[in-house]
Amino acid sequence: MRIIKTAIAAAALALPLFAHAASYELLNVSYDPTRELYKEFNEAFAKQYKAKTGDTVTIKQSHGGSGKQARAVVDGLQADVVTLALAGDVDSIATAAKLLPKDWQKRLPEGSAPYTSTIVFLVRAGNPKGIKDWDDLAKPGVSVITPNPKTSGGAQWNYLAAWEYAKRKYGGDAKGKEFVEKLYKNVPVLDTGARGSTTTFVQRGIGDVFISWENEAFLARKEFGEDKFQIIVPSLSILAQPTVSVVDKVVDKKGTRKVAEAYLQYLYSEEGQDIAGRNFYRPTGAAAKAKYGSQFPKVELFTIDEAFGGWTKAKKDHFSDGGSFDQIYLKN
Amino acid sequence: MKKGIKQAGVATLAVIASVGAAQAAQGASAEELDQRIRILERKLELDKEAAEAKAKDSPTVSISEKGLSVKKGDNEFKFNALVQFDGRTYLDDKATQNDTFTFRRIRPTFQGSVGKLVSYRLTPEFAGAGATIVDAYVDLKFDPAYTLRAGKVKGPVGLERLQGGSAITFIERGLPTELVPNRDLGVQLQGDVLNNTLNYTIGYYNGTSDGRDGNATDTDNRKEVAGRLFAEPFKNAGGVLEKLGVGIAASHGTQIGNNTTNALPGGLRSPSQRNFFVYNEAGVTANGDHTRISPQAYFYNGPFGLLAEYVQSTQEIDRVTGGAVVNSEDIKLTAWQLAGSYVITGEDIGFKGLSKVAQPFTIGGEGWGAFELAARYGELKVDDAAFDGGAALRFANPDAQSKKASSWTAGVNWYLNTNVKLALNYTNTSFDGGKAGGADRDDDKTVFTRLQLNF
Repeated sequence: MRIIKTAIAAAALALPLFAHAASYELLNVSYDPTRELYKEFNEAFAKQYKAKTGDTVTIKQSHGGSGKQARAVVDGLQADVVTLALAGDVDSIATAAKLLPKDWQKRLPEGSAPYTSTIVFLVRAGNPKGIKDWDDLAKPGVSVITPNPKTSGGAQWNYLAAWEYAKRKYGGDAKGKEFVEKLYKNVPVLDTGARGSTTTFVQRGIGDVFISWENEAFLARKEFGEDKFQIIVPSLSILAQPTVSVVDKVVDKKGTRKVAEAYLQYLYSEEGQDIAGRNFYRPTGAAAKAKYGSQFPKVELFTIDEAFGGWTKAKKDHFSDGGSFDQIYLKN
Repeated sequence: MKKGIKQAGVATLAVIASVGAAQAAQGASAEELDQRIRILERKLELDKEAAEAKAKDSPTVSISEKGLSVKKGDNEFKFNALVQFDGRTYLDDKATQNDTFTFRRIRPTFQGSVGKLVSYRLTPEFAGAGATIVDAYVDLKFDPAYTLRAGKVKGPVGLERLQGGSAITFIERGLPTELVPNRDLGVQLQGDVLNNTLNYTIGYYNGTSDGRDGNATDTDNRKEVAGRLFAEPFKNAGGVLEKLGVGIAASHGTQIGNNTTNALPGGLRSPSQRNFFVYNEAGVTANGDHTRISPQAYFYNGPFGLLAEYVQSTQEIDRVTGGAVVNSEDIKLTAWQLAGSYVITGEDIGFKGLSKVAQPFTIGGEGWGAFELAARYGELKVDDAAFDGGAALRFANPDAQSKKASSWTAGVNWYLNTNVKLALNYTNTSFDGGKAGGADRDDDKTVFTRLQLNF
């Protein structure tokens, strides 16, 4: 017995000699305009995780229209985490492929939305078409750039924001539908994602107004010249809540759950929130809110839950096959 | 494709230009025309991007050192093959065994997946007297943690048996493989759990005699349950112990002989492929519980490999004379082996063999391939009870059947590249008993060579 105990103790003592720091690779499948945000955040997280655990983590990024990205994960793209434009797209991964539990949104603070954003208009310098509010986008002769709601989460926020504006102003869903129908008659090109629409408007010089993520509009001005574009804040917009989740079945298969969870939790840390604010996303943490709050314009915001009864209903009514978008766009 | 898009684009722009000119005459401003052209250019750009994305979704056909693969999304078809051509020389055998060339394996393999859920494998065997089926099964991959496999499969008991035919270190497997099921028909649940550090298999099969395939249909209406737990506790931690695996496997069932088959092994073979033991008395038949247990382990680190296994197989056996059972015993067979190998050219080796040759052999070039040295020792012992009771009661005649085989093998493998291997083995097997008067049967001394092609 003594020999056995001695052997076990010796083996236990020797184990650390064989234990090496682990290295992990994560794939973050995200939506279109988050490239810059996650490039900066990934570097910060990897550095912090190495210092804390000694383990090396490399994060790969994949970007595209949020809906398209969600479908890629459902079809087998091995995402450790998804950081998508809207909860509805993460829901589709939970329901269509059962890769994560249906109550995934309860696992992290703020309904798993570590930062928020909204929808604004980006126009060319001097605002030649005099765009002031949503009504101006539906006028004849105004060329509007927005991506395809069938593939882009950002485009769904745009579409619903326009619908709700008209519903409130003119009274009822029928007026909302009539309004977005007029607006989409002014859309000459449907890109698959928000970044593609930025290219169309900013680099290809197409259109008079770009219905844009707030962060994307700020970034366009920063990258391409503040003297070339200006931001117009509509009277009403939507509180966009991009959401994040670990993809349970993938992390359990790859053995990356611990690091993937730490990655998403770090989005809520002081540094994570600071990086979000620096990249023009509206932080949810108090310190970053105080630091960056003044850069964001004041605008009346409504939520998807109060206006459309949540994402499941909104997707079914508007973006599923035969939904309101198909009805107005196929007619055109 | 790109050329086509370009041509279409140019043509479209030309049309637009002419239409634009006409419209300009009707009052469209230069600014509006500029926008229209930009829109069309952007649409062409997007069409091109969409066409390129679609091309990525087209089936991918690849031919490489790993064989032929046709893949589209979750659907895949693969073709591989394994051919082994052996030379067998028996030394000091007084010409009782013919030296020969022989095809040991000629196995094309068709495998693939249909969607995410279903995969399959079909491997016929063309070496030997006629074509047979080696593997034929369908997997339902519910999850990496639980896959259901049904068909003709390798039984889960033997460690070296589970190693692929192209990956085994020696030309023939060692003595423990003689006591475990080869292939059997049945259904098994298998998977990797605990972050892939624990592999399990539990299955329900027709049942086989030791070292043999199951029959095409069950011969005794009795079944066998087999299972295996195999842990690689340091798999995710890296370090020296990363490829250390330890496990235990077992099977339990009932084997009953009948007028057609005694449900016992047709012969226990030495690694030289010669029978040294068979239940050779008249009226001997399996008639009861058959239990196997096998602790097993391997360890690989860089070019070094070690494999160890022990098997105990216990079968209830009757001897029937004139319709009456005259002797009934649980006969226990045990075997073990320890095998080590070292790749002197430094390549990493694992349970699935050498994955990559650093400098493949090239004519007129510098590469010589990879060289591996290997040695093995093992024993197989037959229960004394098999020989007890004199000619009227015993199950095997000690003057013709050996009680024990002790075998060592030394070998060298030359991997010309990933696909071609040349092997040379010298094996010496000595026996206890097996000759008249209790004398020991002569040692098997063999030199086996192999040319192996697999892709």
